[in-house]
Amino acid sequence: MFDNFIAGTTALFGDPVSIAIFIFGVLGGMLFGAIPGVSMLTLAAILLPFTAGLEPAQGVMLFAVIYCTGTYGGAITAILFNIPGAPENAPTAFDGYPMTKKGMAGKAVGAAVLCSAIGGTASALLMMTATEPLAQWAISNIGPPEIFALVFFGLAVASSVGGNTIWKGWMSVLLGLMIATIGQDPVGGINRYNFGLSDLAAGIAFVPAILGFFAVSEIFVQAEKKAFGKYNAPKLSVDFPSFAELWAHKIAVVRSIIVGFFCGILPGIGATLAAFMGYGEAVRWSKEKEKFGTGKLEGVISSETANNAATGAAMIPLLALGLPGGALTAIMVAVFQFHDMEPGPLVFYNSPELIWVVFAAMFYANVSILFIGLIETKTIMQLLRIPFHYLAPMILMLASIGAYIGRGLVLDVVVMFGAGIVGFLLRRSGYSIAGIVLGIILGKIGEQNFAQGMQMVHYDLVTYMSRPICFILIVAGAITLATSIYKALSPSNNPQKQA
Amino acid sequence: MGKLTKLHIFEAAIWASFVAIFFAFSFEFDREIEIYKFGATGWPRAVLIVLVIVLLGNLWHQSQHGSAAQVGRVGITDDDVDVADKTAGSIATIVTFLLLPIVYAWSLKPVGFYSATPFFIAFVIMLLGERRLKQVCGITALIYGLLIGLFMLILNAPLPQGTVSPFYDFSGFMLRMSNQLQSMF
Repeated sequence: MFDNFIAGTTALFGDPVSIAIFIFGVLGGMLFGAIPGVSMLTLAAILLPFTAGLEPAQGVMLFAVIYCTGTYGGAITAILFNIPGAPENAPTAFDGYPMTKKGMAGKAVGAAVLCSAIGGTASALLMMTATEPLAQWAISNIGPPEIFALVFFGLAVASSVGGNTIWKGWMSVLLGLMIATIGQDPVGGINRYNFGLSDLAAGIAFVPAILGFFAVSEIFVQAEKKAFGKYNAPKLSVDFPSFAELWAHKIAVVRSIIVGFFCGILPGIGATLAAFMGYGEAVRWSKEKEKFGTGKLEGVISSETANNAATGAAMIPLLALGLPGGALTAIMVAVFQFHDMEPGPLVFYNSPELIWVVFAAMFYANVSILFIGLIETKTIMQLLRIPFHYLAPMILMLASIGAYIGRGLVLDVVVMFGAGIVGFLLRRSGYSIAGIVLGIILGKIGEQNFAQGMQMVHYDLVTYMSRPICFILIVAGAITLATSIYKALSPSNNPQKQA
Repeated sequence: MGKLTKLHIFEAAIWASFVAIFFAFSFEFDREIEIYKFGATGWPRAVLIVLVIVLLGNLWHQSQHGSAAQVGRVGITDDDVDVADKTAGSIATIVTFLLLPIVYAWSLKPVGFYSATPFFIAFVIMLLGERRLKQVCGITALIYGLLIGLFMLILNAPLPQGTVSPFYDFSGFMLRMSNQLQSMF
């Protein structure tokens, strides 16, 4: 393995073009991740046509690097503006944004930098050592029933965070699941809920939906506060967490690496669920549960470690099985196809140099987060100095372009602003935007794997539950759900006076 | 009724309408799929049924505890603004602010990005309280220039050009300028 890594490093840094692409990917991912309104997916969508002219290894490496640094970059906007750069940064905002409001933005961003680097580097090392055995394990043990079980568990966890009550948490997730049913059904290809619009046959693209629910709704919320004279500009501070503070959360870091890596390795699940589950597990095991959501450093640490830990793992199903783990890895499949290649087990035998250039690039990209991220943080935080009435139109415009570029449809811009209005109204009523977005992302994956799983077990629930991983995940999800409902019904968890 | 308010009932009615509309429209694609027992409607209808159950749970919670948040919930935002602070003028501002982006989005197809964007940016700045004309024009020009520079000149991103003259002609002019600038470098 070490020899291969050295060979990958030599190939990466021995070629000036590859070095330039690597640096562009690192800076581009961080920048697009950290600019509110656009994300690494916007950059990836813009760059995709240009990769046809690159070597296959360079093209895949570019997106792998953007994936690593963009996942980190999205935490910056989540912490500073309550606008997650990508869905996987949504749980980071739960505690990151309250920290910003308390004048602790620097500490939150500093923790995000360090934990993203730790999570990502650990994941890259695990990926390099274990891709082939893990891929073999995944092939023999993970099928559609297990993926559906994990989606169920993930949704149960997601419903327990965000939203004023468990009921509103679930209603948010279910709304997301319903939005995901728009478009063709994943089994028979029958058009559903397209309301006569041919553009809706492909469904609601999740980039405009995410931008609308997160970025646009946040602008509306802040605009409302400004209109009613309640707007408070975020406090600027640069105060990185001490080593002692980080060491105190070592267990949270290790737990999030495990959770993130496990989620990332499963096809179709990706970093989003990893972040939610990393955060959810931190809440579950904490002795100070009530402090989560109010600006607790552990919330940022858990979420950011888990989502970056998923980046390396997400490459395993892509490279070993040809199955993308998320939106950006799906774009990587297109890069392979541009070069008449198919990701999958044969890539390891036909193009080992490609694999190790990508592995080495991801390792160095995660390490670079630590150094460039710290410098970038101090620069990006100056965005907080820009008055809101100048920043808001900039964010709205970037979001509009980000929504349009993916498919070149004006409908996506309309969907984005529509989602922004709906998100604004739902947030004011105590619903969870993060829950809706997770529902949209996991809805199609859940339905597809449920259908395939049911076909596999011939619609027999006993056979389904006799699969050990399914059993564990479904029971864990049911316990999470039952605990939440118990809390919802318990008088001790509900205030006696109306707010 | 307990602590149920008119607002809670209105909220429940909106959700119930959503469920009813989606359930009614599910008959449009209620066809069998040979290889899948539950068909195309199985999943969405199951989600709708669960949604109705959760909606009832939410109504029960609101009747017992009003709008108050459950103790121990994480990730709750403080997005609601105190009712006492609202005036007719401020409500009109926020309603306009909500509708303006929809108008902008619908105008993109006929008018195009290059013509519609400066007006949209300027209106947003003014709605957010900036009244000094010099600042409005200056910041609009700056944001517009940055967007054009990044997405048109550097990234060559395709943006809506419009379908109606003279907006379409203006987009064509911008693209020719962009090509000339690109060829200079």
